[in-house]
Amino acid sequence: MKPVRTAETVGRALEGFFRENRRMPTYSEMTELLGLRSKSAVHFWVRKLLARGVLRKDGRGFLHPAGRALSLPLAGEVPAGFPSPAEEELRDILSFDEYLVDRPEASFLLRVRGDSMTGEGIKAGDLVIVERGKEPRNGDVIVAEVDGEWTMKYFRKRGAEVTLEAANPAYPPVKPRNELRIAGVVTAVIRKYHR
Amino acid sequence: MADRIFSLHSWPRAILHIDGDAFFTSCEEAIHPEFRGKPLITGGERGIVACASYAAKKLGVRRGVPLHEAKKICPGLVVLPSDYETYSLFSRRMFQIMRRFTPQVEEYSIDEAFADLTGLRRSFRGSYEAIAEAVREEVRRELGITVTAGVSISKVLAKIASKHRKPDGLTAIPGREIPRYLDGLPAGAVWGIGHATANLLAKLGARTALDFARFPEYRVKKHFSKPGVETWRELRGESVWPVVSEEKSTYASISKTKTFAPSTGDREYLFAQLSRNVESACIKARRYRLAPRKIALFLKRDDFSVSALEARLVRPSSYPLELAGIIRELFEILYRQGQRYRATGGVLLELMEDRNIQYSLFESPLRVEKVERLYAAADRLAEKYGKHTLHLGGSHLIERVGKGKRGEPTARETTRLPGESGRRHLGLPILHLDV
Repeated sequence: MKPVRTAETVGRALEGFFRENRRMPTYSEMTELLGLRSKSAVHFWVRKLLARGVLRKDGRGFLHPAGRALSLPLAGEVPAGFPSPAEEELRDILSFDEYLVDRPEASFLLRVRGDSMTGEGIKAGDLVIVERGKEPRNGDVIVAEVDGEWTMKYFRKRGAEVTLEAANPAYPPVKPRNELRIAGVVTAVIRKYHR
Repeated sequence: MADRIFSLHSWPRAILHIDGDAFFTSCEEAIHPEFRGKPLITGGERGIVACASYAAKKLGVRRGVPLHEAKKICPGLVVLPSDYETYSLFSRRMFQIMRRFTPQVEEYSIDEAFADLTGLRRSFRGSYEAIAEAVREEVRRELGITVTAGVSISKVLAKIASKHRKPDGLTAIPGREIPRYLDGLPAGAVWGIGHATANLLAKLGARTALDFARFPEYRVKKHFSKPGVETWRELRGESVWPVVSEEKSTYASISKTKTFAPSTGDREYLFAQLSRNVESACIKARRYRLAPRKIALFLKRDDFSVSALEARLVRPSSYPLELAGIIRELFEILYRQGQRYRATGGVLLELMEDRNIQYSLFESPLRVEKVERLYAAADRLAEKYGKHTLHLGGSHLIERVGKGKRGEPTARETTRLPGESGRRHLGLPILHLDV
């Protein structure tokens, strides 16, 4: 008995690849992905998905997922209630991955242990996304090593002088004496309540 | 003759080779900043040094050395179990960064890749060297690890360039400067020239890569087969091997091994591990729709000596159930009571495509098809519940005694984020920092 391929399973396989790689697979990658033996078989499925509106072709003939097929709908800025199907059609789709992570190659996860940023709403146990190699701007939350200690603080800069400020009155502001090494800038905070 | 010119043009092609510096330990240093600059090794679970950081190398710790020896050389050594999950995330990011510059990237191993930069000088407004430096800089800034780059006009030369100044280096070898870099380079250090070829070259009077490159063509053709001739061409700056950006889809052989620390003499445990090696290799073979004509099994003793046996199958098969009898037979010949072993391994050889396999004369096609259906189901179960959900009775012991015996778990394995399961993790590396 061979696994049965349907437009749904093929679509799901492509979707998985797209989620992981943020791009559509090439024909040869699809051959592999779908367990097909020839590119013409791939072409057959691609045509099928194009016809169903799961994929679309751009002006240059490149394949793209046709919006709605992948990930959660971003439903406009509706204050309450459920999105109507009409609104869904109007917007392009952003996955939570893309929403939370701007630069996937430079982003790392960090589990917060301390309470230095509680005033900012970052609590112990929260997950933050830290982007490496980003130039911090005044007021950004950064993760840095100051004189041998790792901390998460606000980055404040006045002229050439840098101060690191906690969002918790229990911690006084720090002016790096010898060395300030910035591991990255916090770009998002994630807290799950039900797991 | 010393400044004989192999290539008239400086850049008829531009091939970049990127090589991670002490890759595994560099990844560890990037996610554990407290280890930065410390003597550090990975491979704790195997009992030998898999990768040594530059600080550890400086103190004399080499790759492949047993752990206890490494600790003797360097008492303050930090020993970590290999965290392949994190290393592959870093690896994929490194390749992804290279793809910002060109889609033509060949992933050569977990920490090495080639990229074809030919013709990109104008769009990046800089020399090939500057593009290579930009790749290095982006990897350093975003991943927090250093890599070494070599740029030249063929793959072999690009590899020579990246070896030239390591770590954290960049070397460009334009066509006109080839001889300068080949002079004094032992022939055996060239990619593609192994032990045997180096010996042959020595007999022919070529000690250095330059000596070899200077051989006249008829001489090379007389003494070497195709790969040797191609290496010679590449060495002279003629790009023979293209940068292949497609993923590998076929294998000459598939091997799976398992090393355990501490070693063991337990008969049934070793048999279970060996059966599991074959099962794992078969999973991979089935994924690529291949089946072996031959299988080989080996046991490695404490002193690293190896006993191995191979068997030819009556019909190619990648179904462990059909191989179980042979595994048992070979194992009983290999295994010696009272001997301690540190590793087991199974190799599938002479792979062929699994369609149009001929049934042998005395077997029932019905039975064969039953096994086929069984493994189609097993593979679907594996997709849903994890590898080896359905396995041979012979390897079941592993499930019962736990896959353990591997020493300490990695930092990633002990971190379970909300919503994660043991099998599914978020795809971003975790920084282990106390903030």
